[in-house]
Amino acid sequence: MEKQPGKQAATEPADSGAGGGEGEPPQVAGAQAARPEDRLTLLLRLRAQTKQQLLEYKSMVDATEEKSPEQILQDKQVEAKIEDLENEIEEVKIAFEMKKLALDRMQLSTALKKNLEKNNPRTSVLMDNMKHILKLNKLIMKSHQESWDLEEKLLDVRKKRLQLKQASESKLLEIQTEKNKQKDDLAVMENSDKIKAIQQNLQMEIQITTVIQHVFQNLILGSKANWAEDPAFKETVLQLEKNLTMI
Amino acid sequence: MSVLRPLDKQPGLNTATILLVGTEDALLQQLADSMLKEDCASELKVHLARSLPLPSNMNRPRIDLIMFVVNLHSKYSLRNVEESLRHVDATFFLGKVGFLATGAGRESHCSVHRSTVVRLARTYRSPLLFCDPEVDGFRVPVAQRLVRMLQICAGHVPGVSALNLLSLLRSSENPTLEDL
Repeated sequence: MEKQPGKQAATEPADSGAGGGEGEPPQVAGAQAARPEDRLTLLLRLRAQTKQQLLEYKSMVDATEEKSPEQILQDKQVEAKIEDLENEIEEVKIAFEMKKLALDRMQLSTALKKNLEKNNPRTSVLMDNMKHILKLNKLIMKSHQESWDLEEKLLDVRKKRLQLKQASESKLLEIQTEKNKQKDDLAVMENSDKIKAIQQNLQMEIQITTVIQHVFQNLILGSKANWAEDPAFKETVLQLEKNLTMI
Repeated sequence: MSVLRPLDKQPGLNTATILLVGTEDALLQQLADSMLKEDCASELKVHLARSLPLPSNMNRPRIDLIMFVVNLHSKYSLRNVEESLRHVDATFFLGKVGFLATGAGRESHCSVHRSTVVRLARTYRSPLLFCDPEVDGFRVPVAQRLVRMLQICAGHVPGVSALNLLSLLRSSENPTLEDL
């Protein structure tokens, strides 16, 4: 088994700024950790590394080939441009991940299909699972439908309630306006002048009648006739008690 | 070569090289040691430098990852890092550069505010890590992270590239940057 050369550390002493002295770099051998590794594994790993590094160099070459505008942008513009580019990178990464996901799904489904075709489809546990899944899905759909119907009913009831409320509101409004109208009419009527004149006439007539009645009574009393015997006289005299203004 | 460019040399077989740039040698050495102690299938090479540009007479391998180490206790390290950033090619910042801020635990000694470093990392669109190398418990996970990042940047992990990692790391940082 080939022992790997251990990790080395090379330290360079201080080079301060431009024009500083150049020192000799002392080689300091770091800790030797021999890592036993299978030859094949090593080769595979190196292969992967080389591939990755090649990819990096290629992308670098592609990047330098495309000529970017040489104008001198201001700070804000540069920042905005950098952010746009970063967002582009993110979007590309996301798109790539989605495509990989889709690809994995397709591969999975074909592998599944091949597996099913190979085994006996009737007795496989997978088929049981899938049947169970289908049953559950049907149940789900049914309960969804039921809940949907119930919601519809609820909605209808609510609508009706709203309509009834609105109708009762309009009716009450009507009643109120009618009452107000009546009150206004009454007030108008009471304040009308005709009624006042009629009332005054009535009062005057009553007073005249009262005076005339008093005159007759005094006449009868003054004539010293026996008014208790004649019912007509009786009535006239006793009328004193009645208050005519209440008629 | 005054400007560091990524991918300018052929990669060594099964090797990954990281360059740690920072003013504190002891710190860098500690980090380097922890990284080398990690279990890793590929060979790791750690280069330490106080600042860029590196002298051009050296025959050094292709650098896969640059980590700029800023000590929050000293403004000089921040200035040093900012100076060195000018000697790095723009294409390096597509995932092969990272910032490491140390000393955030001792708030009273911090002369560089945390938000300064955060803003720096945000300007350069690079990931920012925090580390307290004195505490051994912090050093080992950071070393592990660095080793993993290095492997990805060197192309040793099939299917993940440095840019991919960058966009992955970014989405977890952004929510905290909103309140800046």
